Amino acid sequence: MTELLIRNACVIDPLNDICGEVMDIAVRDGKIVESVGSGAEVIDAGGSLTMPGGIDSHTHICGTKVNFGRYMSPEDMRAGRTARRGHMHSTSGYSVPTTYGTSYRYSAMGYTTALEGAMAPLEARHTHEEFTHTPLQDMMANTLFDGNWPIMQAIHDGDIRRAAAIVGWTLSAVKGFAIKLTNPGGTEAWGWGKDVASIRDPVPHFEVTPAEIIRAMIEANEMLNLPHSVHLHCNCLGKPGNHQCTLETFDLVPNANNKRQSLYATHVQFHSYGGSSWRDICSRSEEICRAINSKPQIVIDMGQVMFGKTTTMTADGPMEFNLYRLYHNKWSNHDVELETGSGIIPVYYSRKNLVNSIMWSIGLELALLTDNPWQCILSTDNPNGAPFVKYPEIMALLMSKRYRNEIFGTVHPDTEHNVPLAAIDRELTWNDIAIMTRGAPAKALGIEDLGKGHLGEGADADIAIYPININETDPATSAEEVIRAFGQTDYTIKRGRVVCRQGTCMVDGKNTTIWVDPHISENYSMDHDPEFAKNFDRYYTVRMSNYPVQEEYIRRNLCIETEAQL
Amino acid sequence: MKINDVVCPFCGCLCDDLEITVEHNRIVAVDNGCTLANAKFMSKEQLASPIRRTGEGWENISYDEAIQYTVDMLLDADRPLLYGWSGTHGEAQCIGVHVSELVGGIIDSTTSVCHGPSILAIQEVGHPGCTLGRVKNRADVVIYWGCNPLEAHPRHMSRYTTYADGYFLQNAFRERKVIVVDVRETETARVADEFIRIKEGGDYAVLSALRAIVRGKGDVVPESVAGVSRSQLERIVTLCKDAKFGAIFFGLGLTMTRGKYKNVRNAIELVDELSRHTKFTITPMRGHWNVYGSNEVFTWMTGYPYAIDFCRGIAFYNPGETSAIDLLARKECDACLIIGSDPGAHFPRGCVEHLAEIPTVVIDPVPTMTTALADVQIPVAVSGIDADGTAYRMDGVPIRVRKVIEPTLPNDREVLKSIHAKMKEAKGQ
Amino acid sequence: MKVTLEVKPRQKPYLPIEAEGIVPRTFFEGTDSLTVFRGNKELPLEEIFNVAIEGEAESVDEVEIIILGDSSRIKRVGEYMDGGRIHITGDIGMHCGNFMSAGEIVIDGNADAWLGREMRGGRIRCHGSAGDYCAAGYRGEKRGMRGGTVEVFGDAGDFTAETLAGGSVIIHGNAGDLSGVDMKEGELTIMGDTSRACANMSGGMAYVHGTVNDMIPTFRKIGQEKVNGEPYTRFSGDIANRGKGTLFIRNYKYLD
Repeated sequence: MTELLIRNACVIDPLNDICGEVMDIAVRDGKIVESVGSGAEVIDAGGSLTMPGGIDSHTHICGTKVNFGRYMSPEDMRAGRTARRGHMHSTSGYSVPTTYGTSYRYSAMGYTTALEGAMAPLEARHTHEEFTHTPLQDMMANTLFDGNWPIMQAIHDGDIRRAAAIVGWTLSAVKGFAIKLTNPGGTEAWGWGKDVASIRDPVPHFEVTPAEIIRAMIEANEMLNLPHSVHLHCNCLGKPGNHQCTLETFDLVPNANNKRQSLYATHVQFHSYGGSSWRDICSRSEEICRAINSKPQIVIDMGQVMFGKTTTMTADGPMEFNLYRLYHNKWSNHDVELETGSGIIPVYYSRKNLVNSIMWSIGLELALLTDNPWQCILSTDNPNGAPFVKYPEIMALLMSKRYRNEIFGTVHPDTEHNVPLAAIDRELTWNDIAIMTRGAPAKALGIEDLGKGHLGEGADADIAIYPININETDPATSAEEVIRAFGQTDYTIKRGRVVCRQGTCMVDGKNTTIWVDPHISENYSMDHDPEFAKNFDRYYTVRMSNYPVQEEYIRRNLCIETEAQL
Repeated sequence: MKINDVVCPFCGCLCDDLEITVEHNRIVAVDNGCTLANAKFMSKEQLASPIRRTGEGWENISYDEAIQYTVDMLLDADRPLLYGWSGTHGEAQCIGVHVSELVGGIIDSTTSVCHGPSILAIQEVGHPGCTLGRVKNRADVVIYWGCNPLEAHPRHMSRYTTYADGYFLQNAFRERKVIVVDVRETETARVADEFIRIKEGGDYAVLSALRAIVRGKGDVVPESVAGVSRSQLERIVTLCKDAKFGAIFFGLGLTMTRGKYKNVRNAIELVDELSRHTKFTITPMRGHWNVYGSNEVFTWMTGYPYAIDFCRGIAFYNPGETSAIDLLARKECDACLIIGSDPGAHFPRGCVEHLAEIPTVVIDPVPTMTTALADVQIPVAVSGIDADGTAYRMDGVPIRVRKVIEPTLPNDREVLKSIHAKMKEAKGQ
Repeated sequence: MKVTLEVKPRQKPYLPIEAEGIVPRTFFEGTDSLTVFRGNKELPLEEIFNVAIEGEAESVDEVEIIILGDSSRIKRVGEYMDGGRIHITGDIGMHCGNFMSAGEIVIDGNADAWLGREMRGGRIRCHGSAGDYCAAGYRGEKRGMRGGTVEVFGDAGDFTAETLAGGSVIIHGNAGDLSGVDMKEGELTIMGDTSRACANMSGGMAYVHGTVNDMIPTFRKIGQEKVNGEPYTRFSGDIANRGKGTLFIRNYKYLD
């Protein structure tokens, strides 16, 4: 039995409605408890801001595509190197750090849980291998279903139950966590070098539309009783005028679940553009937020862009090719048979560039114009909008109008004619930030009942203590303080153990992989479906028996078993 | 006992449909495999115990002694090289990185003598690629450039290209055009629909010419480029542009000939150019079954795919300087651990001589040419036969190789784990 | 200030010594504990060199470092150099003058590979020959050398001035294969022969006063022009790469 007592913690824990109360937190064997004995190890927080460990509900840090981002970028690798030291392995990389680099930097910022945003089922083993080497965060994997042949065929045949059964079989085979759709239908069209132009544009050969895929997957998701909702990267990412596509997509979404949203729309900044070309692109954040404010069934994350160098990577192959033609920098693409695609290019977001300045502005607007912070999660779609190490700056921008104005003064001068940002006075509170980085992601992912994202009794003792006193610091006037404090915790505690102390990781660490295993009746089991098996062995290049991710890859894990209505 | 869907640990194709018959913990038959697979599974000679060189021959030593020797050798060295890795599984490669980092050595895989140039090219311009199933189901034009799959990857054409029917090509052999580009008429060239014979050292020029023609600037191209007529080049470009899905595969004929990585870069930029007109992809024909795995593992652990120098604590990467061949040829390392490779068989003479001069330990199941250069050899189980673990196919698809018989020797990861643990102990950690 | 560093004999003479600390600024600012590396071993400067320092300096530009003895395996000398002078009396190891921004390096002997890699300014003169990647860039980086001058009086190896993005490179002898490959800006002059010059260039200017063997077939011939009174062929390209570079060549041969 190990016990820990954190004294004088100034706690913000939105899921438990605690906001700035100074209290003690007791921990036994990795869980929050009512009280501990006198022999417990004591940490005196001295009134510092204490929150549940941060949760990134959309980030790209592990797997084939991420690793290719590293592989093709020795120039990015040399931009952030540290030597082996104590329990810390050597690290490399700035925008796409090595797995250890990612894990240590997240940990230093108080993050203890992360969802990898896109895992191709065929390459799932790779993602899980990298999870093993990301020791200080519990990990989950969004699983890609945007161009899945048997699923599109089932949808085309109007058999949503079969589509659900295939999703269920796949998630449990590849140890995935949730349904991810990246440019649904578009990644299949990209198999011929094409894309879909709208949610009503049918996918070549399969004759289903993105709208039908999205609707069917939302329905299937609820049939499977999955903890998270469908996680959607809308069609038409990054195209001027794409706000129409986004709004039409939002209109498809029923209110199908009373515990959480029915659709998680990711990196909405990249989907909120007006105009018809790069010349007249403008922000449509107001319309997007109006829709969100009237639809509690939708939760989004920001996809904030920050200025500087980064690497874009997504399963959205056609979009990356368009970016390549724009920037003419190096371009990688990796299509995955029967399932999905992906693309990677390095980018530099410049404040001198009008389009980049508008993008920067839109992300902030989304967070400021969404009335309910539970509906808008803080993200950069790491590393697409910016590396996650920029989160503290984003927090400061959201909390301080003054700081926002200061940065706004440095961007392209025409930005103000194209965005509403300057007119928005809202300043987010400490509590809002805690919601956007803890409570809301936990709730949206459906993992609050597993003890994530809060500090109630029985919760996992994942705790971040930041070196700042919120009663003495006015975030509206102290942006620098806010950035410094959120940039490095005094203590990051994972499962009751101090894993990072002022930026230095203290343990080798061992994480947990969270995955789902929907229980499906024999009638719908793909293991005994001759049609599924026949097509599998005919069209894949890996045998069906070699496809599932073996137990060896998920050493410590938490399996969420659900009862599917199938 | 028959075991189905066994993965073959020979080449980068990682065929996973072999049928192995095992009797009394011995493999007695291999079905579905190519001749290379059969040879690998049926091979019997394995060392029974670690050996150490004595004045006139070899003596058997215990695993503990062999491991201690390795630890001392690595710790004594100023600039140790840890080389090979393509013939072992990912989990062992991970520990290899930890050992290299701890000792402050250089870790490099056989990549630096096969597709290292492909990686350098990808680092300059990226890589438009795909998994092999994408090619099987869709490609109506396939180009083999500087490679001879019929000999080096015997089932590549039957599983993924020429003879592989796919979803959109029900009769691949008729519907798919296969083009071979090479300096000599290989066996693969003889079964191609079109063969382009290039003068030695002329790949780069031909690729440049093709790019210009794709761009509609064929008028600058001379009548003949490296032995290929402009009209043939124009015909090829038309074929490519008319393709619904084209796939280029390339081998050492491109990576290891004059210009090396610039050849590959030019080929990739040709694919970029064609992608403006239709769908095109390009894939290196990786040789060793898990050489791509070494690149993947090294990349997520260190940031770089091969030739990583930890001597200064941080990872430094500069192939040409930190790659095994260059280090050995320049005598820039003073101890060497070799695992999952046989450099004694294919390294240039100068390199082999230096290996013989410095203390060298080999971790390998069987006596090889490298054994002749080594001071100690530690035999291990064979990954994919009596040890399991992760491998990455030439297109990046991770597949778990299986253990089909019970091992009598420890496997690579177990041996490396002991080395790592002993080394940590010695360093007081 | 004159700093004389004489290389001592070493037990393992082939193992490289990494000595990025050897730049005028280090000595200008005072150094009691300068170290160099032999592989993974950190050693005091004095273990590798006999060190003699004479005189004072008012600015970094008044510091001259003289390297004597066999320095052919000493790497990274002059890295990030921002003023002063380094005089190498023999050969020098790899990466001499990496990222250098000002000052002068003079090498009486030969230079190993990556001489002046990613150089920003200043001047390097090599009286012997230079290895591969003379005045080139780093793996994966789009832009290599961006400013300054590298002048080699002997020959240069392959990939000379690769990804050149500024400054000027002059090779008095021959240059190896693919000189000026992927260059973007700046000026490359080769007094002797080379092969496949300026392949895939997107911009910049190159003169080859000897012969270009295996000329890249995707340069557009603009015509004959006189350079210093001699007839040259002017090319523009590389067309394969949408390039707008300019090439003046005395003689050329295609691989047809």
